[in-house]
Amino acid sequence: MDYIYSILTLTGITMIGVMGTYMVTGLTGQFSFGQAAFMAVGGYVSAMLALRFNLPFPLAAIAGSAAAMLAGLLVGVPTVRLRRDYISLVTFGFGEAIISVLNNSAQLTGGAEGLVNIPKRVDLPLVLGSVIGCLLLVACYKNSKYGRQCLALRSDELAARSMGIDVNRLKLVTFLFASAITGYAGVLYAFYAQYLEPGYFNWTVSAEWLIIVFVGGINSLTGAMVSALILSSLPELLRFASAWRIIIYCVIVLIIINYRPNGIFGDWEISRLWKKSAKGEKA
Amino acid sequence: MLQNIFFGLSLGAVYSLIAVGFALVFNILKFSNFSHGGVMSFTAYAGYYAYIRLFDGHVSSSWMFFAVVTTAAVIGALTAVAIERVGFRRLRRNQAPVIYYFISSITLGILLENIITIFASSNFYSYPVFFSSDNLSLLGTTFSVADVVTLLVSSASLAGLLLVLYRSKLGLAVRTVSFDVNTASLMGIDADRVVMATFAMSGALGGISGVFLGMNYSLYPQLGQLVVKGFIASVIGGLGSITGAVIGALLLGIVEVALIGMVGSGWMPACVFVIMLVFLLVRPRGISGVIVQEKA
Amino acid sequence: MRNRGFLVKTLLVGLLAWSSAASAGEIVLGNLQDLSGPTSVLGNAVTRGAELAVDKVNAGGGLKGDKVKLVTVDTKGNVQEAIKAFNRLVDHEKAVAVLGPPVSNIGLAIAPIANEKKIAVLGSFIDPRVTVQENGEAQAAMFLIQPTSTQYAEIIASYANEKLGFKKFAVLYDQSNAFAVSMLKPFKAYIEKRGGSVVAEETYTKTDKDYRAQLNKIKSAGADVLYIPNYTQDLVITVKQAKQIGLNLPMVSGLDAAPPFATLVGDPEAANNIYFANNFSDKEPQLTEVRNAYKAKFNEDPINKAYLGYDKVIVLLKAVELGGGASGPQIIAGLAKIKDVQGTTGVISLSPKTHQPVGLSMVMYKIENGKYSEIGRYVPESHK
Repeated sequence: MDYIYSILTLTGITMIGVMGTYMVTGLTGQFSFGQAAFMAVGGYVSAMLALRFNLPFPLAAIAGSAAAMLAGLLVGVPTVRLRRDYISLVTFGFGEAIISVLNNSAQLTGGAEGLVNIPKRVDLPLVLGSVIGCLLLVACYKNSKYGRQCLALRSDELAARSMGIDVNRLKLVTFLFASAITGYAGVLYAFYAQYLEPGYFNWTVSAEWLIIVFVGGINSLTGAMVSALILSSLPELLRFASAWRIIIYCVIVLIIINYRPNGIFGDWEISRLWKKSAKGEKA
Repeated sequence: MLQNIFFGLSLGAVYSLIAVGFALVFNILKFSNFSHGGVMSFTAYAGYYAYIRLFDGHVSSSWMFFAVVTTAAVIGALTAVAIERVGFRRLRRNQAPVIYYFISSITLGILLENIITIFASSNFYSYPVFFSSDNLSLLGTTFSVADVVTLLVSSASLAGLLLVLYRSKLGLAVRTVSFDVNTASLMGIDADRVVMATFAMSGALGGISGVFLGMNYSLYPQLGQLVVKGFIASVIGGLGSITGAVIGALLLGIVEVALIGMVGSGWMPACVFVIMLVFLLVRPRGISGVIVQEKA
Repeated sequence: MRNRGFLVKTLLVGLLAWSSAASAGEIVLGNLQDLSGPTSVLGNAVTRGAELAVDKVNAGGGLKGDKVKLVTVDTKGNVQEAIKAFNRLVDHEKAVAVLGPPVSNIGLAIAPIANEKKIAVLGSFIDPRVTVQENGEAQAAMFLIQPTSTQYAEIIASYANEKLGFKKFAVLYDQSNAFAVSMLKPFKAYIEKRGGSVVAEETYTKTDKDYRAQLNKIKSAGADVLYIPNYTQDLVITVKQAKQIGLNLPMVSGLDAAPPFATLVGDPEAANNIYFANNFSDKEPQLTEVRNAYKAKFNEDPINKAYLGYDKVIVLLKAVELGGGASGPQIIAGLAKIKDVQGTTGVISLSPKTHQPVGLSMVMYKIENGKYSEIGRYVPESHK
């Protein structure tokens, strides 16, 4: 059972991380290529506070998310003014920069050898609860005024601007929100795995999250979540194929991208099941 | 000082081959083609196996380098064309948003890297020594024959590429398509063929860079992750601009070497990030100054 | 189109139900390795070595009639993946003991789970924190089959300092690599304690491929010798580029300089004047059998991690005998009793206090003009 639990727990954490990517990419159409760095910030800050100052877990968790948000502010303020392609570069560079800072401050962070002895404070129920909580937050955000503005922004930035939407501010707010959520995923990860290393948070993780969002359907939060559930447990299910499993994984992703150009779910949301009269849902 | 600039330039020369292969595809389809890294790893190994199975003992050692590079370039071109067919053709038909190409290319990159891992990952391999490893010196700087060859072959392939792009019919078609695919098709240009040709050129460059990476370093499946340097260089250079990518790559090489001298390698990525950010804020068009028209 | 989604889901449910529980009379050893990812070369070599050992044991009728089954799972060189994979080995594949990866990060991450589940992990994770906790107690289920980074780095430092007489050291290491970092600290401490000094400390990271700027700094630092505790592919670049800039220092390194390193460099002038410490001597007779079997099966020469894989199986099976049965706690008890087991890499005894090998010496080698020559086993005075 521990096997299933560990898959579910880690998948849940990935789902929260993917929510951050979904907000940045799915809602505002920005392209964050260093989202995992916010996870690193959240994880490292909370773990170090707990280890060095004996901060209780809830406070450490809040501090971790807040730190990730602060990092989001640092990156967000200059980047929202940039062109879309540059944002992927800048977020990518930010991810590399965070890793280099973590490797360089070995006295504090343990450097490349990693941070050990983080107390175990996270289990499956907490992760499940967190997934639901974060999901509600993100869903509310998507259905709020901001969420709708985001959709306008994503389909046509120029038009959104001329409608009087403060595009830069909107992007920044969403980016901050996403950073905090991703940071929280990092907190959960740190206190579950009990071990952190800088190398884990490199751009390939961010890229995996992007793949998940697109496979699920860029317009659909439900899609992103279902796809996170499937794609992050898929490599486990494919273990019987041993060395070939990543190849099979890639082929499945390619097939979906090629044959379901809007992702598995398109813009369908699960809330439609109970909101039959979803007039404004159409994006 | 001069020596460090030279180090920077020769590092930049390696980056520039990667960056140009990257920029070529961006030029046409407007996305960052991360499968290029996979192509580089793949061709580096392909060149090695061609050497072991085909050329060793059959080709005289002085021609060996050209035999290996040519094979790798051809295989690179074929791989890239195959990638285009599998990963991007259908997306273009569907008029999928650019971001999907990007996702597809990352997936293909992972795919190629893992294919190599399956078949050739229980040992390290290396190319034979193609050139004398003696040092040359000039104006108080020392450098190796391999450096000079890298610089020469990089420049020659880039020159060849520019010749094709600006002096041939195909190049004209490529530039037209890069401007606007739909209009180009209306004008009777076979967009599929042009895109394929672009991928072939990019793949050939990828093959050449693969051999250089394998020759200067050693062979392991993650070799292609150096593609990120090409990514940085070509974005800084001005997206899609070939000359911009070359300048961006050389600058990146020089800046990296200079930063290692000043702050050490550990802090280098952090400093590169800040420099990048400042640069993009000051000059949001990239080095080349041409901006790819973006209508969201 | 909806059907496709349904199909995928059915397929997934089907795969989940896929089960492969151990059958009776079978000892399942888990093999947790980086088959893909940045250290795939090492992980694949360990796996092949372990397969050879298992084949040999089974060909001889198994362990007291029980067949040995090796279940290999991939970690992608990724901690998160390793946690899942480890749980899979224990819960799903019913592994009674696990062959650990040659990567300390993953060892550190699975240590708490292994301790809790009482499943022994025998690995070559050389960071001492994997086997010994901060309070000095051993990690209940973690065992090491190779000298720790502290012992290892001290052996190299002692040899360079006391035998070769070097006083001023320069260091070039991969700051993003746990192995290199863990080999640096004890080295520096040892040298400084002995009155030597580290006059230049240069770093690079994973994506750097040009170290000439660093080497140039080292050149002007006035060091006697350069210490390079890095992975093989990096060492190749280091010596080639050192030659290019005319840096003629002798170098000392870890076992990553073992074959095929000099062949990879391909330039006798660059692969010259390098000392390194290996786990074993190429000349020792027990290696020959494994090497020949490896060549016959995989058609190439083994790298040294393959021998470690082989030994891990041998030691684990010995622990089954010593512990009196093939259950997790019994094997843990058995491993603590391992004494004088002849492996390919030497005679292995594990300390019950630290779960680290005792008395494992290293074999010093020198590379001269691309040729390896063995200097002999070396144990520093302070280790005796």
